[in-house]
Amino acid sequence: MRTWPTLLRPWVFPLLLLALLEAAARWLVPGSDALAPPSQALQAFGKALSASGDESVLQATAFTLSSAALGLLLGAALGVTLGLVLGLSRRAAAMGFLSIEVLRPVPSVALIPLAMLVFGFGYRMEISVVAFATFWPLLILTQAAARQVEPQLLEVAHALGLSAWARTTQIVLPAMVPRLFIALRLGVSFALVVAVTVEIAANPSGMGYAMMIAQQSLAPDLMLAWLAWIGLVGFAINALTLRLQRAIAHRMGEPHTGVAP
Amino acid sequence: MSESPLLRFDQVGIHLGGREILSPTSFEVARGEFVCIIGPSGCGKTTLLRAAAGFLQPSGGAALRHGKPITGPSREVAFVFQDYGRALLPWRTVAGNISLALEAAGVPAQQRPDRIAKVLDTVGLGAHATKFPAQLSGGMQQRVQIARCLAQEPELMMMDEPFGALDAMTGESLQDEVSRLVRSTGLTVLFVTHDLEEAIYLSDRVIALRANPTADKPSLAAMVEVKIARPRDQLLTKEHPEFLRLRRELYGFLGHH
Repeated sequence: MRTWPTLLRPWVFPLLLLALLEAAARWLVPGSDALAPPSQALQAFGKALSASGDESVLQATAFTLSSAALGLLLGAALGVTLGLVLGLSRRAAAMGFLSIEVLRPVPSVALIPLAMLVFGFGYRMEISVVAFATFWPLLILTQAAARQVEPQLLEVAHALGLSAWARTTQIVLPAMVPRLFIALRLGVSFALVVAVTVEIAANPSGMGYAMMIAQQSLAPDLMLAWLAWIGLVGFAINALTLRLQRAIAHRMGEPHTGVAP
Repeated sequence: MSESPLLRFDQVGIHLGGREILSPTSFEVARGEFVCIIGPSGCGKTTLLRAAAGFLQPSGGAALRHGKPITGPSREVAFVFQDYGRALLPWRTVAGNISLALEAAGVPAQQRPDRIAKVLDTVGLGAHATKFPAQLSGGMQQRVQIARCLAQEPELMMMDEPFGALDAMTGESLQDEVSRLVRSTGLTVLFVTHDLEEAIYLSDRVIALRANPTADKPSLAAMVEVKIARPRDQLLTKEHPEFLRLRRELYGFLGHH
């Protein structure tokens, strides 16, 4: 049985932290350019909610999320496809190995200058950097997932005389789903981090840019409000993907453990 | 009437990783026979079974089915793996797992439900068709695997220590069930086990293998007929003088000295 005290338990620490921040900002460093009490941040956020243009919360959030989502979609489509080929064929893996190991360590944000030159400001540049950043982990994890398919299941497929196509669609791909989901969740958090980073560093749109504007106009309350909002959005998206993952795991016969990973 | 035996090993030797696992071994399995292969761990009994199923090629000699060399797995040969947990698709229900064999055999979708229901009834799992493997006990999961093999409608069923991971009670009830199934279907079975009593209880013939074969001590240590009437009974058969005699005769081959 879940009682009220147990339901409230996870909130104790964050609320305590907020109260401490409120007290520190009010009495330790009043009028600071870096810190603002959470109550003022909340007010600033309320104002930003009704604002329009670059400072509009809805517009900025939509920009960041759609760029992150499209970038992830592109990165995942390419990464999963190529990872599957490299995971299933030793020859392809041997051919691709060097190129991957040379390109993979390039930090994705180092691509921002190039992306700016090629695409200019806006969606396309942000999407391309997110796609590059998410492509690698999805490629590597998909490749590993394809290789880790239970060998005995492949023998079962062999013994039953399944065709190569049926073996891939009925055995290999479904067997990879749990690991693919881990890769996807990693990709989702990567995509959000990289999208906000691109906006802070270069792209004049989205939540990262709005936070930079607040910082440059010496509005710590608004800046902190954006910071908290970005955190909340990230939390919500992570919770959504986790729910999706559980729903699919349940449909695929995985016993419900109730343990959060 | 086919002239050549269903399965024939003619001086089959198997080397794996530079080591001789099985020294040249010859035996035949006739249609409808239940043959158990027994021996200590590392004697190559599973390797022999895998060669007979076409999962690996012998290093020497000839493994023949109906007089033709075995070049790979065939739908006529079903294989029951010891580790049922890794042989069933965890994302498919019991019915879905059986369906896999029918899909592989190209059975039209509208015929599948009837055939699935039929084999599930045969193994006593009719009420569990919509459950996932993880919701079943080990014994029931192994029944699902056996049902999938039956759905394949093979002429030969290979069983690799199928009850080795189950508790003794479950193992014994599955022994009786497999005996009954084999009698009613006329299936030919090649069954690997390290349990001597299980081997004698199930078999028409027991082949005993020894580990680390040498020139004067080849892999094939003994081959004995089990002439005990069927149906057999867990209590009566195991007290039968012939059963006890065979048990005594074969005991030494299992590493007991």
